[in-house]
Amino acid sequence: MSSIPEELLYAETHEWVREREDGTLLVGITDHAQAALSDVVYVELPSVGDSFEAGQGFAVAESVKAASDIYAPVAGTVVEVNSQLEEAPELVNESPYELGWIAAFQPAGTPEGLLDAAGYCKAIA
Amino acid sequence: MRHVHSVISIESRPNGFAVQRGAVAMHHTPLYERHVARGARLVEFAGWEMPLQFKGIIAEHRAVRSAAGLFDVSHMGQLFVRGPQAAEFLARMATWDLARLAAGECRYCHILDEQGRILDDVIAFRLAADELLLVPNAATTVRIEAWLAAHIDDFDATLENRSAELACLALQGPDAPRLLQEGLGLAVEPFRVEHHGELLVSGTGYTGGAGCEIIVPAADAPPLWEALLARGAVPCGLGARDTLRLERGMLLSGSDFDGSQTPLEASCEWVVDWEHDFIGRDALLAQREAGGYAVLQGVQLEQRGVPRPGCAVFHAGERVGTLTSGTLSPSLGTGIGLAYLSLTPGAEVAVEVRGKHLSGRVVRPPFQ
Repeated sequence: MSSIPEELLYAETHEWVREREDGTLLVGITDHAQAALSDVVYVELPSVGDSFEAGQGFAVAESVKAASDIYAPVAGTVVEVNSQLEEAPELVNESPYELGWIAAFQPAGTPEGLLDAAGYCKAIA
Repeated sequence: MRHVHSVISIESRPNGFAVQRGAVAMHHTPLYERHVARGARLVEFAGWEMPLQFKGIIAEHRAVRSAAGLFDVSHMGQLFVRGPQAAEFLARMATWDLARLAAGECRYCHILDEQGRILDDVIAFRLAADELLLVPNAATTVRIEAWLAAHIDDFDATLENRSAELACLALQGPDAPRLLQEGLGLAVEPFRVEHHGELLVSGTGYTGGAGCEIIVPAADAPPLWEALLARGAVPCGLGARDTLRLERGMLLSGSDFDGSQTPLEASCEWVVDWEHDFIGRDALLAQREAGGYAVLQGVQLEQRGVPRPGCAVFHAGERVGTLTSGTLSPSLGTGIGLAYLSLTPGAEVAVEVRGKHLSGRVVRPPFQ
């Protein structure tokens, strides 16, 4: 069983979203996604200041055998990236919801079309 | 040495994460149910549904480098050639003079067509004066069987394909000899083969380290598999098999050669014994004389990134080749690959990985 924290929002493409106190959104990939990817050996991060549409690929997680796009769950601008992943990409596997976060976004509007934990649980069932 | 397809250039795009499988019925090894029960992630490879990984490619790779890993390689072929001229026949068919192999010796070599192009890489085992075993790759076993059958009539020899009734386990890593001793009471030297009843154990493998391969009747494979795991061997899939072989610069049939390259181009002149007559020899001699061909070389990245088969290789701004294999080396933490290049070791190259040019160098494998 994969872990799906109650307090987060989810995209059907397996990203999670956590709203921070300053209104920015922290984004990573779910436990289900990291398990499916298996050993992440490289994460291609966006640059701070890059803007993305909702659903646009903003990062790439590479396992030994596959490269998987990570999609922006909301439209917005990258305000911070998890540069720890450059040296320790395995954090995406070991701590997908905490140390393995990928980027923080300043959202361009109100997030739309995201799932709550129960909805995401159903989506991956 | 050899085998495994780059299985596995599964690009899990859009919201993928799914392992793609062919629609046709797939072959299963005698260990298939064990793999399913153990929760292996399965992948289609050369018409076989095989374990890609059990716990994870990195952990399995490390287990083989530091302890012992166990692979199911029952998809590979077993072609037996018997008769007074069995060795003479295979010497004619292979780049190595297999008539010179003593009973109990194994040899890695290539089977060529008349133009000198590699049809497959194989290990030949001399089991007795009048009996040899050839182990081709899974995807090429039927083709090699047909190629041998088309040439055997001039010799006093017979051919038997026993691939369907035999299984093969590869026990690899520094602890492999100890586990073989403890589990089966056996020992084998590198590139030697021993018969023990219906079991064949050889000092061979595809990881570049110590270890052995064990060929047994299909029904004996599950208890042997479980017994070796119970001794501490780590179950490993084709994913780790691929990263392990690539670190040591071993060829992958179908990827690093695909029917259009010669052993000279594949940097494998060492598998050629020029002192004997074999199919493809004249073409190889002519090529060696003419020179001027690209050869398979290692490429090692200096920038972080994961090179994949198919990535373009650049030198001085020009595209000079394409990776035939590529991965992130779990042992070294750097991107490594193979490509046919007209460059010498030390030359600076760039590999295009998803639109970005990552700098690297031409090196002579094994990678270090």
